[in-house]
Amino acid sequence: MPAEDMGKVTKRLRLIFAVSSLVFVIVLAISPVRDYLSDWRQYEREYVRFAESRPDTKRLLADFHPEIEQIWIPQMQVVDRCTTCHQGITRPSLADASVPQPFRTHPPIPHRVRDWGCVVCHRGQGLATSVRDAHETTLAWEQPVLPVKYIQASCGACHHAELDQTPRLDRGRKLLLTLNCVGCHHLQGAERPQMLGPDLTNIGTKVSREWIYKWLKDPRTLTADDGTVTVNGYLNQPEPRMPKFRLSDKELVAISGYLSTLAAEPVQPYKFDPRIVAELGKRPDLVDQGETRFRQMFCTTCHSLAVTRAGETKLIGGDIGPELTKVGSKVNADWLAAWLRNPQSYLPHSKMPRYQWSDQDLYLITQYVQSKLTDSSLLSDLPKLNAPSSEDVQLGKRLFAEKGCSSCHVIKGVSPQTDFGPDLASLGSKNASQLEFGKSKIARTPVAYIEAKITDPTGVNVAARMPQYSLAPGDLDALTTALLSMTGKSATAGLEALTIPADHAQFRPAGAFGQLFERYKCYVCHRFNGYGGTLAPDLTNEGSRAQKQWIAAFLKNPQTLRPTLTFRMPQFNIPDEDASTLAEYLSMVMQSPTVDQAAADSKTYTPEMANLGKQLYEVKYQCQSCHTIGSGGGYVGPNLNNVGNWITPAWAMAWLKNPQSLVPGTIEPHREFTDEERTALTAYLMTLKQSASSPAAGAPGRGR
Amino acid sequence: MKAKLLVTLALLLATGLATSCHQNHTVAATPDPLTGAYDSEPDWNDGTKIIPLNYQQAQGKRVFYQYCVWCHADSTPAGPSNRSNLTPNPPLANDGATLNPLSDDFVRNVITLGGAAAGKSASMPPWGKTLSPDDIEAVIAFYRVIASPAYQPPARPGPQYSVR
Repeated sequence: MPAEDMGKVTKRLRLIFAVSSLVFVIVLAISPVRDYLSDWRQYEREYVRFAESRPDTKRLLADFHPEIEQIWIPQMQVVDRCTTCHQGITRPSLADASVPQPFRTHPPIPHRVRDWGCVVCHRGQGLATSVRDAHETTLAWEQPVLPVKYIQASCGACHHAELDQTPRLDRGRKLLLTLNCVGCHHLQGAERPQMLGPDLTNIGTKVSREWIYKWLKDPRTLTADDGTVTVNGYLNQPEPRMPKFRLSDKELVAISGYLSTLAAEPVQPYKFDPRIVAELGKRPDLVDQGETRFRQMFCTTCHSLAVTRAGETKLIGGDIGPELTKVGSKVNADWLAAWLRNPQSYLPHSKMPRYQWSDQDLYLITQYVQSKLTDSSLLSDLPKLNAPSSEDVQLGKRLFAEKGCSSCHVIKGVSPQTDFGPDLASLGSKNASQLEFGKSKIARTPVAYIEAKITDPTGVNVAARMPQYSLAPGDLDALTTALLSMTGKSATAGLEALTIPADHAQFRPAGAFGQLFERYKCYVCHRFNGYGGTLAPDLTNEGSRAQKQWIAAFLKNPQTLRPTLTFRMPQFNIPDEDASTLAEYLSMVMQSPTVDQAAADSKTYTPEMANLGKQLYEVKYQCQSCHTIGSGGGYVGPNLNNVGNWITPAWAMAWLKNPQSLVPGTIEPHREFTDEERTALTAYLMTLKQSASSPAAGAPGRGR
Repeated sequence: MKAKLLVTLALLLATGLATSCHQNHTVAATPDPLTGAYDSEPDWNDGTKIIPLNYQQAQGKRVFYQYCVWCHADSTPAGPSNRSNLTPNPPLANDGATLNPLSDDFVRNVITLGGAAAGKSASMPPWGKTLSPDDIEAVIAFYRVIASPAYQPPARPGPQYSVR
């Protein structure tokens, strides 16, 4: 090769070498530059600048290191690098709203961030170091950060029991139960109750085919004059348990036809004493008297009525039983009387108590229901429905099974269905790829899926069998939260050990008390050893709290001196022997282990002690702010006019020492009385008695 | 120059969109006392205005509606209020004119130790053994956020700063 050619080659080689070196340097530089420009480094530099702009720079930067930070909790498999960018999470001085994100302190919660990390509650990808990877759905990580409004779902993943701090979760869990979701779906921690929807074996004896047609078409039966207000869709009112199924007219005709033929074991119509009917029938104020009895018996504690005042229609009353505004146009007269006398003969698992009726009361109330709680136009807008043809009945019977009706409703001779819908026990931990979005346009995240599914099931899957619920926006959020909280079995044994199980208390007394307990359904409103309703006072410690004679007298004539209460104990017309059986059992068995009846004896109280107690009550502690004695005082706490006949001295002593230890969450403040003061106050309270004959004699409705 | 014009146009468009969206939202926002409300509270003087609550304020609201509402509000979950029964009348929880000048320390003392300990009415019982310190802080935070006129926290030192 000639020399000049050699020179050319060398020159070209040099050029190639120079260019490749440059490329090499650039390639080498990419990594440090990318690192320098990475999200987390930018945020850390931002944090340093922010810290320097504040007067407490030194403290803010004392334990700051310009590197990736992580919280590592091996037993929970938590490696969270969130604190790399969220520098202020554990610094209390950055709690102020003026501190820019992502540096603000976490609001105070019962769990320390250092002990729990972030993703245990917030979800997202804890290992990620870029904003997008950490917060959003990526190919490698399908659980994005949980929207803050559903954050209580994470509490529910471990806390299967109720929590004060999570009202939205508790509401959602309650809705899952009251809406009978468990009829079709398997849910975490929920058992099938004995009765979901009513038993329809004899539905043909209760309502007409027209009414069934209307109810199936849309269970929200009541509308205001302008057609806008639906009774069960009222703000604060729960959904009717019966959801709206999308049924065609033909299907409605068939199912209503089938159901209207069901009368296998009809209840015997009750024969009123003809003398009473003849006597009462003559009275012009028959219906008004019925209404008075209806109010006196406090039917409204469980049932609500729509009342229109000043142009606004509202439901007034409780939600334990169905609303009754137009029930007179719904049920058959013979059925109504038989039902009221003995609800369990028609529905064995009904929550309705079996009252002790006099013929007179029963007649008055049935007359009131049939003439006042009616709507003549209720069934007017329906097609003509005659006696059902056999094809209708056959088709109706088939549809009853196909639509999943027997998941909730029992008909004798029709086999019940369970798990008609998908298993939801681990819905909250499902990834988007495990869910069927079909061709819907919703975002591909588990949260969006649940929201869409309970808002409009057919929007996700056109052929969905799930019925349509119309939930208030707050209830939608609550329900979504509760569904997201059902994450199935915990990922690790360490997490499983942290789970706080739900309380499944049972209280099934035997003997004479047990029978009365079932008859009057005490547990629907009252709570016994953690079992039962929460509408009325917890009676777990009633035997320690109340004197036996008082309990018996109260059961016979329950009344309250609290004018503000709308929900009161109904008049069951309990006979003497039943009342004494109930009082005997309550005072013998329902005792608090911490209240020693022998520790306080009202015989040792002297008038001087009572006088001192009166002084303390009125001047030093001003108990009259909340309690009424005589005609003056507040009505936050119970009325104390008859407290000497009501409360036992031992209970009063224990209560004054620490009320929350006896009734958790009671609003009576826990104060620091000396023993002498407690004795004096108790001595004073025990002097407060009203004679039974006095018209104002009574007792507080709720012993909170 | 052209860029500036474009930016201004874009901004105008954005604000227009934002306000129109906002109007749509206010229609839907009705107070929902039972369900949606744990993290928001309607303004007591103007029911259409909804005050959003953070975690601490929401806990404060829970404590307030269990223990305090009976005497520090004119309507209660049970209906009428005990407030008018009391002399002197307890301040309403949103009474900014009365509560805003009081420091957090003072309010904390009154709640914890009772009215008598702070030279106020003995009708206000001490809650220090009933409520936890966190509960009490939460209630104060709730009072502050619903205050009308609005509560201004004591000025903090240091310049304003914003990220990006």
